[in-house]
Amino acid sequence: MTTTLNPPPTRPTPAGGGGRNRARRAKGSSGMREATPLTYIGLTITVLLSVFPLWWMFVVASRDSAAASARPPQFLPGGNFPANLERLFANTTANFTLGLTNSAISATVLAVSVVLFSSMAGFALAKLRFKGRNVAAVGVVVTMAVPVQMGIIPLLMLMGWFGWRGEIISIIVPFMVSGFGVFMMRQYCIQAIPDELLEAARMDGCSTFRVYWSVVLPALRPAMIVLGLLTFMTQWNEFTWALAVLTPSNPTVQLAINQLNQSAYSRDFALMFTGSVVATLPLLILFFVLGRQLIGRIMEGAIKS
Amino acid sequence: MTLLRRGGAPPRDTEGATPPDPSNDDRKRREQRQILLTRLDLRTSPYLFIAPFFLLFAVFGLFPLLYTVWVSLHDWTLLGGNQGFVGIDNYVRLAQDAKFWNALYNTFGMFVLGVVPQLLLAMFLADTLSRRIRAVNFFRMGLLLPYLTSVAAVAIVFSQLFGTEFGLVNYALGFFGIDPVNWKGGTFSSWAVIAVMVDWRWTGYNALIYLAAMTAISKDLYEAASIDGASRMRQFWQITVPMLRPTIIFTVIVSTIGQMQLFTEPVIFDGGSVAGGTQGQFQTVMMLIFEEGFRFNNYGYGSAIAWTLFVLIVLIGALNALLSSRIKGAQ
Amino acid sequence: MRASNRRHWKVAAAAVGAVALLTATACGGGDTAEDGEITLTIDTFGVFGYDALFEQYMEENPNITIEENNLSDLNADYVPALQQNIAAGDGAGDIVAIEEGIVQQFYLSQSDNFVDLGEYGAADIEGNYLPWKWELGKDAEGRVVGLGTDIGGMSMCYNKSLFEDAGLPTDREEVGARWETWEDFIALGEEFQKAETGASFVSTVTPYFNAMNAQGGTHTFFDTENNLVAESNPVITDSWDLAEQMADKGLSANLPMWSDEWNAGIQNNVFATLPCPAWMLGHIESTAGESGRDRWDVASVPGNGGNWGGSWLSVTTQSEHPEEAADLAMFLSSPEGQTSAWNEANTLPSSPQALEDPAVTEFTRDYFNQAPVGAIYSETAQQLEPVYYGVHNAQVSEEFRKALEAMEQGQASPSEAWDQAISNSERAAGQ
Repeated sequence: MTTTLNPPPTRPTPAGGGGRNRARRAKGSSGMREATPLTYIGLTITVLLSVFPLWWMFVVASRDSAAASARPPQFLPGGNFPANLERLFANTTANFTLGLTNSAISATVLAVSVVLFSSMAGFALAKLRFKGRNVAAVGVVVTMAVPVQMGIIPLLMLMGWFGWRGEIISIIVPFMVSGFGVFMMRQYCIQAIPDELLEAARMDGCSTFRVYWSVVLPALRPAMIVLGLLTFMTQWNEFTWALAVLTPSNPTVQLAINQLNQSAYSRDFALMFTGSVVATLPLLILFFVLGRQLIGRIMEGAIKS
Repeated sequence: MTLLRRGGAPPRDTEGATPPDPSNDDRKRREQRQILLTRLDLRTSPYLFIAPFFLLFAVFGLFPLLYTVWVSLHDWTLLGGNQGFVGIDNYVRLAQDAKFWNALYNTFGMFVLGVVPQLLLAMFLADTLSRRIRAVNFFRMGLLLPYLTSVAAVAIVFSQLFGTEFGLVNYALGFFGIDPVNWKGGTFSSWAVIAVMVDWRWTGYNALIYLAAMTAISKDLYEAASIDGASRMRQFWQITVPMLRPTIIFTVIVSTIGQMQLFTEPVIFDGGSVAGGTQGQFQTVMMLIFEEGFRFNNYGYGSAIAWTLFVLIVLIGALNALLSSRIKGAQ
Repeated sequence: MRASNRRHWKVAAAAVGAVALLTATACGGGDTAEDGEITLTIDTFGVFGYDALFEQYMEENPNITIEENNLSDLNADYVPALQQNIAAGDGAGDIVAIEEGIVQQFYLSQSDNFVDLGEYGAADIEGNYLPWKWELGKDAEGRVVGLGTDIGGMSMCYNKSLFEDAGLPTDREEVGARWETWEDFIALGEEFQKAETGASFVSTVTPYFNAMNAQGGTHTFFDTENNLVAESNPVITDSWDLAEQMADKGLSANLPMWSDEWNAGIQNNVFATLPCPAWMLGHIESTAGESGRDRWDVASVPGNGGNWGGSWLSVTTQSEHPEEAADLAMFLSSPEGQTSAWNEANTLPSSPQALEDPAVTEFTRDYFNQAPVGAIYSETAQQLEPVYYGVHNAQVSEEFRKALEAMEQGQASPSEAWDQAISNSERAAGQ
């Protein structure tokens, strides 16, 4: 973190020209890539299909548990949401608030670390020349093929030795790097960063780190946002490992939700879904904020006119 | 440890950092040091860049992996612990295990039904969303919603849709005079439902990855093509697809790995059971691993299946990479 | 609780995950015992009704803090987690709850993971438990490793309004008299189907198969030497025959038990009867909701009582405070403790003293037409005999469930389904 003196440019500034001008020209040109009404209809259907379970979750959350299995199904929300919300935060056994905090911490730390380490390794594997590069690149992909199920017990033993059982660090450290992330960044680097750009920076006498920080990182931004977002979401919704290593007294948000459904041998769907709705809100907000960033990059201001 | 100074960069406190000195001798020495440092930089920094990944993986990925290999060579139950070394007996048993072959068959079946439409659809959606579109943020968010919806909600929704007695799909089919389908009961019908679940959950995810990659494609290319009178379809196949080649390879491999390890969706569909239906008609290899390892407590045998699956995935992944790398590059 | 071998690993951990520690040191904490302060953790599933007891105990023992780790889903979450914790040698609670279906999986084949409660005075309180419950809490060497909590005495729930529609008797005494035996039950079922109410007499044959097995005597799928005898044990073959008859005569709605469709079936009055261990009442009540009030009623079960479900408490050898944990386990499972749990969550006591407590015997359940469920359950509970389940009971019973469903849904003929059940059971039992 030694380069803060020269803040990285906020936009990628590829050698010569710059994508921005080009985009402006594209905008000025014909409506070649304009959407038709048919496109909107197709997209709307897709979004409706995507949104349905979430909407339906809210419907149950605003009614009672019986709505979850009512026939015919209920499609409109009822008036119970505030009451369920009150029950949610009054429920002491589920530790819902603690779960939210724990998930927020772990998902944030992981999103940052996965993006950082992945972009570093991805850049090195895509653009730097060194002995064993190809082996390492294949190795990264192979790490993804490891079936995780059987690894749970040795990993639990490891956590026990470290004294991390039941503590939030146990859901963070083992997942600070991801083969998926490295592979994604490598492929994106190959495609998005021309070698000439790096050579130019080298000619200017930039160190590898400097090249990474000032040239590569800005160019990787769209992919980094996507990777960060996906990592955050994956971690936010992770359940299996958290169930194995944490206890309900120090849960993640998903563990807490799982605890909400207890009422003698049956499920309190209304409460569970209220929890799910609340748990989804941070993701929606995050997506909205970061999505805007991403869209800014993609559209290059094309819609503003 | 790798603070490498370069022209233009402000001085930092590296080992024996020198204060700037205007004298000629010093400049020479500095230039020499510069060359040395550059060489050092070029040689070592690639390793430093990949080190965090491989170090952390070694502890939290490799150790469990090797432990699993060790376990797979033993008769090892969760109840009684290690019952002794048995060599490759577990693997021999696997080769003759009808349940394993059934699970493999199911996994491949759902792989074909699941991955192909998913990636095509994702590509198409990403292409659409990279155009000038109103409310584009809304549509993009919509695409990713399935991935951020909690698994519990998804489970109940899909059982609402595909239930035999009360399912909405059967209800709708009833209007066409079609008798209720027992979706879970049949082999192909259960695969179809699971493929729908998989596609529903992962299409938007892949579309977003494509979308990010499309931002890197220069708009000039499209502009030039449209001046030449190329149709949008043509532009898609001749510019977008070839330019996205590395990303396509990426998604193909990742989806292959994910689909070969298919677990969550079929388990949800079976109400939390890893049996894959009454007769194992949709039990995947991953579910079999879980069943053997954690339900039947055959840790050794479960590990052997896990390892076999790992090798299979690597082989199939390599094959896929080979095939998709035949997409021609644009340059 | 697990401080002893933690320290020197901290060093290694710090070296490995330096970055991580920097970002996450705020999450330290831990539950080390200092100044005589002790935290006892207890792992439970479902609902045990212990809130009031925990409070009382902590008040009487100010140096003790009780932490309950409850997982609501027994089979999907609790059992795998417990098994993983035991196998990894770390992470299980000081006290863990063991359910009937897995009691021998834990007590017979891995009892060295549990503390001999006899060393802490459990031998003196044998009289506090029903004899069969007490016996099942012992391991192969006769050490007491589990103390009984609740049991699952049997009854048969029936949907009163559907019975009325079908022109059958609706009074619980009369209904009980009509199904003295399971053959009677099936005959009544045929009568019900003939009335064509649109509903089915049973939801799926599995719970009836289970209930009939539970009445069968000393053992079910396994003999007491732990050999799989499902194929030859008349208890199993008879139950299978009766289940087959139910499917064959079209009594079943073919809704797999515990599925969302099955729950929707309860709510929408799609089936008319359901075997009801004590804990099932709560499930019906919360699933059917207000619209189901007074629709369901409780009668005696065909055959001779039987038990389905119920649990034990064990102290794990992972515990650093086995003495305190044993004391708490004895407190929770004492007659007074069991009565308190009954008052809180209607878990039927396994203690004869508690079963005679008026709080139990005179209890009526409002939701079920004021049915005198306390009396119905406590009557049969006293006369039960211990059933030997076997180490792989849970696995084999799951294989039978699948085969029965394949049969009733028509994916397999009865004989194919039987062959499937037998061959898969052999595999599930590791044979």
